[in-house]
Amino acid sequence: MQLDRSIAPDFKLISSINLPEAQTHTLENGILLHVINIGEQPVIRIECIFEAGNWYEKQIGASYFAIKMLSEGTSRLNSGEISEAFDRLGAFTEMMHTSDRIGIVVYCLSRFLPEVLPLVSQLIQHATIPEKELEELRNITLQNLKVNKEKNAYLATTEFRARLFGTEHPYGQSQDEDNIEQLSFDAIRQHYNQFIKNGRFTVVLAGQVEEADITLINDTLGKSQIGPHQAKPAFIVKSAYQGQEAVIEKPDAVQSSIRMGRVLFNRHHEDYFKMLVTNEILGGYFGSRLMKNIREEKGLTYGISSHVATLRNAGYFMIGTDVKKEFTELTIEEIKKEITKLQTERIGEEELTTVKNFMAGEFAGSLNTAFEVADRQKVLLLDSLPADFFNHYIDKIQAVTSEDVLEMANLYLKPEDMIVVIAGGK
Amino acid sequence: MGFCRPLNKPSGFGKNFVRSTIMIRYKQFTLENGLKVFVHEDFSTPMAAVNILYNVGSRDEDEERTGFAHLFEHLMFGGSQHIPNYDIPVQNVGGENNAFTSPDITNYYITLPADNVETAFWLESDRMLSLSFDPNVLEVQRKVVIEEFKQRYLNQPYGDMWLKLRPLAYKEHPYRWATIGKDIEHIERATMDDVKDFFFRFYRPNNAILVVAGAITFEEVQKLAEKWFGNIPAGQPYVRNIPKEPVQTEARYLETSAAVPLNSIIKVFHMPGRYEEGFYAADLLSDVLGRGKSSRLYQKLLKERAIFNSINASVTSSLDPGLLLIKGNLNPGISLEEADRAVNEVLQELIDTGATEEEVTKVKNQSEASLAFSEVELLNRAMNLAFAANAGNVDWANQDADIIRDLTVNDLHQAAKNILRPENSSTLFYRVETKEPALV
Repeated sequence: MQLDRSIAPDFKLISSINLPEAQTHTLENGILLHVINIGEQPVIRIECIFEAGNWYEKQIGASYFAIKMLSEGTSRLNSGEISEAFDRLGAFTEMMHTSDRIGIVVYCLSRFLPEVLPLVSQLIQHATIPEKELEELRNITLQNLKVNKEKNAYLATTEFRARLFGTEHPYGQSQDEDNIEQLSFDAIRQHYNQFIKNGRFTVVLAGQVEEADITLINDTLGKSQIGPHQAKPAFIVKSAYQGQEAVIEKPDAVQSSIRMGRVLFNRHHEDYFKMLVTNEILGGYFGSRLMKNIREEKGLTYGISSHVATLRNAGYFMIGTDVKKEFTELTIEEIKKEITKLQTERIGEEELTTVKNFMAGEFAGSLNTAFEVADRQKVLLLDSLPADFFNHYIDKIQAVTSEDVLEMANLYLKPEDMIVVIAGGK
Repeated sequence: MGFCRPLNKPSGFGKNFVRSTIMIRYKQFTLENGLKVFVHEDFSTPMAAVNILYNVGSRDEDEERTGFAHLFEHLMFGGSQHIPNYDIPVQNVGGENNAFTSPDITNYYITLPADNVETAFWLESDRMLSLSFDPNVLEVQRKVVIEEFKQRYLNQPYGDMWLKLRPLAYKEHPYRWATIGKDIEHIERATMDDVKDFFFRFYRPNNAILVVAGAITFEEVQKLAEKWFGNIPAGQPYVRNIPKEPVQTEARYLETSAAVPLNSIIKVFHMPGRYEEGFYAADLLSDVLGRGKSSRLYQKLLKERAIFNSINASVTSSLDPGLLLIKGNLNPGISLEEADRAVNEVLQELIDTGATEEEVTKVKNQSEASLAFSEVELLNRAMNLAFAANAGNVDWANQDADIIRDLTVNDLHQAAKNILRPENSSTLFYRVETKEPALV
């Protein structure tokens, strides 16, 4: 039989997914342990997550330095001995820091968990923040910042967030030479004592987990005294960026980094899924309109994308790209044209179907390992979303109509409501 | 019609010690046109990964036409003979795809719901049959690649490091140019005839490896492979004829400067290729030197003496003999010469006395853990099979853990003596370019 290669094979739509549930245990001291036991490989990831990012700090940088200094010395081990203790087991550690949260993350072979746990507990309970190591970290942070400041992408994103939220707001703040140099030992120490040593945290364990591991966790992380819940400070977003354009001149740069966007909302908002689909059409995937126009048709860039970014207490929309300097204005014009098109012309059913199918498949494909499942469960547990939020993901995506897309584009994508930041030049 | 020759070879039996990495089970067959197919069944996921590796990389390029393997990777997404757009059908069935080019290979992959795996066969077989050779696609992708060159190699601090290092370390072997190309003019000059020649020379079934992994049976893959790839004609067998890099006999130095924030040193040493004898001894040696905060370079040159503010070591893992690389950023006030001497002292100590038993146990645990973590992802398992099969023996994908386990203190000491010799080194001093003095 002659094969007709011009006809696509039949396919099935993904109609639903089922996010494996976390088993939750309460340790003796009231700390919650969530376990995702999945996988054939004998590996484990353990995370201790503290609600103690920039949002909670008294001095800019205190939360960053507090978490990074955990592995730089305890009452029993010095910095080199701590690295040695984890490295000896082949364990990788990561001191995680975001605007909202900080945490200790350890990846190890499951058989080494019994040796990893006492180390983790020691870092949380007995960190000493030694002065020599603090000065070293301060120096390394300053040098890294210097390198980052040579990167247009870093400059553009930092300025973009500063303009959106204001530099008084934790989501608008970033490291700079002054705040790194001025950060006091006391501020770091206080952040550590209040939020880490005596702080309430959440443990997430993912991978090949055994019953005995749960007991071990209770014995190591479940015995310490935990302080009371910490009040969450309130911040107001100062929004005076609309319609502005900010240029950071870099005369030697061959390319410009462009960031364009606005403050939006997070997963709790009723328009979240509609906006997710709208964003996907505009710049969320490789076949998006921005990618087609600006990369595939005009060859102005290696890549362009748009995002609906969600933080614990807010969210924002951002379009980002790097282009040859002389294409900067042309690119911004073309972005605006694509937005106008989305606001005025109803999207065709074929394109909308492709986008929705892609999003469904991408979502189903992003839940295959214990770590991916744990990352989704963390969003639900830490951001207080309904337990079935992700189980409805595909239904909600499939329910979005072409009218919804028009409405979203008109409500949330007006260029006059956005700021444009350019690092490089025009 | 093609004909399948299943081998149904189980792998990984007869090991009686506890091992922490799980064998990647597979079965294989070869189509009449020479396409080698490997199947890794895994029904714990609803997804499938389809990985197709073409045995062509930048080392196969003509010196006057560099950057071609990579440009080609871009063209492969510009439509094929019967399918005008590659990406939309993938997205439409909920799949994701991408590709990469290395000095050794060009690799394409799709992950998608296993129910829709036939879409991947349809797309991949049509672009193996023939591309559309649309002139407009060439024009646009040429521009995209030039922008990629700028974004990744010119517009980043230290972005041109490899462009400088490769020709310093390699004098004869084509690893002396980067995958993006030696000169961006080569991309600017590429013609449609060049494109067609390249395609029919390298993109043939007998020069490719197909791996299908995930929730799909071996029998189903056999049926689909036969249906979609069976009637693609084989090409002339490609016989690789690449000059061997002569043994280096004296230390090489090069200085460069750019508007970078910090002085930097990069040192490379020739070492065995990815599947050659001695690869893992060299790999673990680089870990002893510069993996993590307990490594020698970090402890001695960042912690004990504040010479660097970042320093690490790694290996390139290329198929032909590769490079062990040490890279560090200097603290202000330290001269490049002083930092170089300090690195050389650490290296000499390792040549003289080797690594300790504790260090070797540590880096073996680290490697074992990296391997186990890398195999958590279905797509990585598929790629590991494809890389090993392409290099000569698919079972190599399952032997890494044993090789690492069997390494001794003595193996690493030998590796140090062979590899870290000064006359085997190339050193790049990357100097901060001082701008015009500011007006006071």
